[in-house]
Order: sequence, then structure tokens, then C-alpha cells
Amino acid sequence: MMTDPSHSDYPQRLAALPRQDARLLRAMAGASLVALALGVLGGLLTALARAGFLDIIPNTGYRFLTVHGVSVFFYWLFVAQAALLLALSAAECGRGLVWLRAARAGFALMVAGFVFSMIGAHVGTPLLYDGSPGLGADSPLGLLAFSLGYLLLGLGLMVLPASAIATLLTPRWQGRQQSLSAVGFALFVWAGFLIVTGFAALYAFLPAALWALGIGPFPASHGTNWHIVFHNMHYLPLMATVILWYVLARVLTGVRSIFGDRFSKIVFSMYLVFVPPTSLYHMFLEPDLPGVVRVTGSLLSLFVSVPTLTAFLIIVASLEVHARHQGGRGLFGWIGLLPWRHPSMSAIGVAVLSMGLGIVFAFVLIQGDLAPLLSDTFFVPGYFHFFTVGTVSLTLLAALAVVLPALGGRPVWRPGLLRWMPWLAFAGLLVFGVAGVTAGYLGVPRRVIDISYQGLAPSLWHGLMGAVGLGGAVMSLALTVFAAGIAASLWPQGQRAHEPAGPMVAWGRDAVQPGGSAWVGPVSILAIVIAMYVFTAIGFELMRSLPVIAIGGGGH
Amino acid sequence: MNEDVWLTAPIAVIWALLAVAYALAPWGDMIGYAWVWGFGSVLFLGLTVLLSRRPTPASERGETIP
Repeated sequence: MMTDPSHSDYPQRLAALPRQDARLLRAMAGASLVALALGVLGGLLTALARAGFLDIIPNTGYRFLTVHGVSVFFYWLFVAQAALLLALSAAECGRGLVWLRAARAGFALMVAGFVFSMIGAHVGTPLLYDGSPGLGADSPLGLLAFSLGYLLLGLGLMVLPASAIATLLTPRWQGRQQSLSAVGFALFVWAGFLIVTGFAALYAFLPAALWALGIGPFPASHGTNWHIVFHNMHYLPLMATVILWYVLARVLTGVRSIFGDRFSKIVFSMYLVFVPPTSLYHMFLEPDLPGVVRVTGSLLSLFVSVPTLTAFLIIVASLEVHARHQGGRGLFGWIGLLPWRHPSMSAIGVAVLSMGLGIVFAFVLIQGDLAPLLSDTFFVPGYFHFFTVGTVSLTLLAALAVVLPALGGRPVWRPGLLRWMPWLAFAGLLVFGVAGVTAGYLGVPRRVIDISYQGLAPSLWHGLMGAVGLGGAVMSLALTVFAAGIAASLWPQGQRAHEPAGPMVAWGRDAVQPGGSAWVGPVSILAIVIAMYVFTAIGFELMRSLPVIAIGGGGH
Repeated sequence: MNEDVWLTAPIAVIWALLAVAYALAPWGDMIGYAWVWGFGSVLFLGLTVLLSRRPTPASERGETIP
């Protein structure tokens, strides 16, 4: 008999995994949450320093910023992704992980990488998260440790997904499955993209390590090589986010895509078709870039969010049609029927809103004429926290809030409290993001701890950065409580809970009427397009009023 | 051969074309892009081959059919 994993319940499948698989997955989730905690602490201290609430020397501030960027962007996001990739692959297969040794080896490499990266962050010149050899030239030992960290992470990203791929393909090779389910296919291409990104990290950081060891030339092309790692490291978490929304919508509501598995597979494969060619926009700051390439890059950049927005439309339309079948009324009234008592649902709600805001500002930034003006301002951290915190981190936490209770048989810790934390984080994020983007429009530089410039800086800059510090503190507090609550599921419990995954609804059992309407998805896209236009116009008007000329600089 | 193969094979082809384009680009020192997408193209070609592998009959795996 052919098996279709998508007919089964993920929490039950996770609960039935072999003990050694569950132990590895829990260890990985725990390690990712440690990286998140360290990164949040580094981010909080950086935000407080930039706001002027914390009096430290700039070098210490750059060290906080390095710990923040490295821990969150490279280790929290990627160890958590690896853990969820393995967990969902094992659940898809239904018989546990295949090639468990590869999974363990990959995880060990990532942990070793984290240790080296943290050593590198504390030795020599703070290298921020891109580890530029130019900054580390006076401290080869620090540069070596830092580069070794990313090299080990890259190796881990190349080894670990092999276990997920073998796990996903085993039912097919054994004749138990004719084709991958939509989720199985998404996990399969996600695993492949992780391996490619691991290779990109090796390619970018091996020259710096060889130079620091005295056996290679100075890596003059690091900036260009960094762009490609950076591009993948940005879009992989977004791809993971959409895959996890797809899975969580099914787990929390029982709803499958009304467009069918095949269309979902096409959308997931579109990620890998669209994302690589769009990387050209990272080159906009290169002064010798030909005009034709600049125009081509601008046009291609418009495609970068096509897969994300299409997947968003699939999920929202499927939920809306089913919610209306359950009695939901009005344009937005059906949204109230979603299982908001579950912390994961709250986190996904915030993630969707954050993604909308993030996409609006991202499109402002990646336009050829605005990129040189805004890329070195606080506009960049102001907008990308909508992605890193609001969208990706909350989605990963939402997934862990389902996976960890299922693995441990322990119900979600205080769901009544935890479900408010994403909204509190969103409140802080709004203050941080709006103040940060405004500060960027007004010229506040990024990656500069002290912006007083001997008292010559405009007073408005200080007010805006104070708001950034305040928003950052609220965001950090809420995220820490949310993550700690989810981590509580790692604590061993003797007796398994009856409902470890928390309050959900089961709409998937009811057949929906054909011809149902679903307008919120298209209306959301229209709102995003209008907002992009408005903020681009504001950006041009503001920049024209400033006495500056953009000449290019570092990458964003 | 099924839809999984047809959806994965184009990734390998497009990335290969991209790698060639970056390798030949006369500006910006894009050889790193060529190496990464070239590696990705070979990887996804390999994954496509794995997807197109036929199932091993239960008798050859030493299993009994229930």
C-alpha cells in the first residue's frame, strides 16, 4: 500500500519517533535557543549603547554587535532550520531518521563552529558578522578563529541535510511512496539549498583562514564572495518560513492547500529558480558596475518575492475558504476563527504582518537609485528586523512550539501567557523599526556606536535612537520570554500529556463548497504594492532634500 | 519519472546557465558566484538522479511482502 504522510498528524508522528532521533532533535533545538539567547543579549546591549542608555567604549559596542549578528543570523537561524528540517523529514518518512550519523556529525560541526565564532568575536578586532579580512588583518589569530567558525558551520550545513534527503527518499526507494508530498518536496529542495549555502560559506571564508595560517594570499575578493553567502543566508530563512507556515497551517487548523499539492511544489521550486538570479542587486554599490547590469539587476529584484507572496496567497486563501465554511463572515471577520489561543498561531500572525512591512521597505532599499543612499544608514537594521525577528525568528519559534512538546510529551508551557509574547515583541519591533527607518531616511549611520559626532549631530537623531533602544528592549524581553517558554518543553516529563501540541481546530475534515471567495490575500498584496510606492516616493523626496551625493561603499 | 523530477531538473539547468554567465562576466570579479551556482547545479543534477531512481523490489531488499 502506498503511504501519504500528509494524511497523518505531524505531532503524533513526531511523538512516535525513535528515542535517539528525539534526543538529537531536542539537543539541536536547545543549542539553537542558546544561540538565540546570546544573540538577543548582544542585540539588547547594542541597542542600549546606540540609544546612549549604556555608556561603553565603541570597541565594546562593536563586540556586542558581532555577538548579536553572528549568534542570531548564522547560528540561531541555521541550527533551528536544521533541527526543523530533520524533524519534519523524519515525520514525513514516518520511520525515523536515515543516516543518523550524518545528522549527528553535521550538528557537531555546527556546534564547534559556534564555539570558534564566539572565540573569534572576543579576540582581536570585532569583525561584525561578515568577518571582513580587512578588519582582521592586524589580528590574524582572531580572524582565523572567526573564519574557522563559519567554515565548520558551512561543513555542517553540507553534511547534515544528507540525512534529511535520505530520509525523504527512503519511502520512495522502498516502493512505499510514488512521489513526494508537497511538504516532502519542499523539505527536499530546502535541504539542497542548505548544502549549496554551506558550500558558499566554505568558498567565502577558506581564503581568510588560509591567509591567517600563512599559507595563502590575502583574500582581496572577500566582499564579492560574502555577497553570495549573504544572499543565500537571507533567502533560505524566508524559504524555511514559508514552508513552516504551510506545515503549521495544516497542524493548527487541519487545512491543506485548496490549490493542490502540485501547485505548492511548483511554488517551492520557484524559490530556487528565482532567488539566485536576483542576487545581482547586492552589486549595486560597486562603482564599476555597468549600467545595463544595474538595470537588469533592478528588474530581476522585482521577482525576488514572487515565490514568497505566491505561497502566502496559497496559505491565506486556503485558510479563508475553510474559515468561511466554518461561519466566518466579513472581509476580515473569518480571521477571528483561527486558533489564536495557541502561541504558534499568534507568532504566525505577527510573522505575516512583519513580512508585509519588511517586503515594503526591502523593495525601497533594493532599487538601484536608493540603494547607494540608504545602504549605510540605520534604515537597514530598521527594516530587516521585520524579517529576522518578526518574520523568521517568530516562525521558527512557532514551529518549535509545536515540535518540542510533541517530542517531549509535555504540553506547551503557559500558552495563555506565551500567546501574547509575539504581540508584545511586535509592539517593540514597530517602535524599533519605524524609528530606525526614519533615522535611516534622515542619515543616521549604521554600524556606528556613538553618533554624537562631538555634539554636531542633529538632536532628532538622538530622539530616534532612544526610541530604537526602547523598542529593542521591549522586543528582546518578549522574545526571551517566548523562547524560554518554548524551551520549557525540553525539560523531561515522566508522563506524556494527552494534548502536547496545544489548542487547535480541525477544519480539514469538512469539504468546502466550490466557488468560495477569498479576498484577504489579494487585498494584502495590493496594500503592500501601494505602501512600496508611498515609501519609495518618500525616500526620493527626503533624499533629494539632503545635501549628499552617493558614491557607494560596503554591501548591505 | 514524475513531477518531482520535472520540477528539480530545471533548477540544475538554470543554475548551470547562471554559473556560465557569471564565469564569463567581464565585470565585478564574479567567479565566486560561478563556483557556487555551478556547485549547486551539479548537486541538483545529482538530486534529480536520486529522484528518478526506481524503487528496489521488496524481495531484493530481503523483505517479505505482507
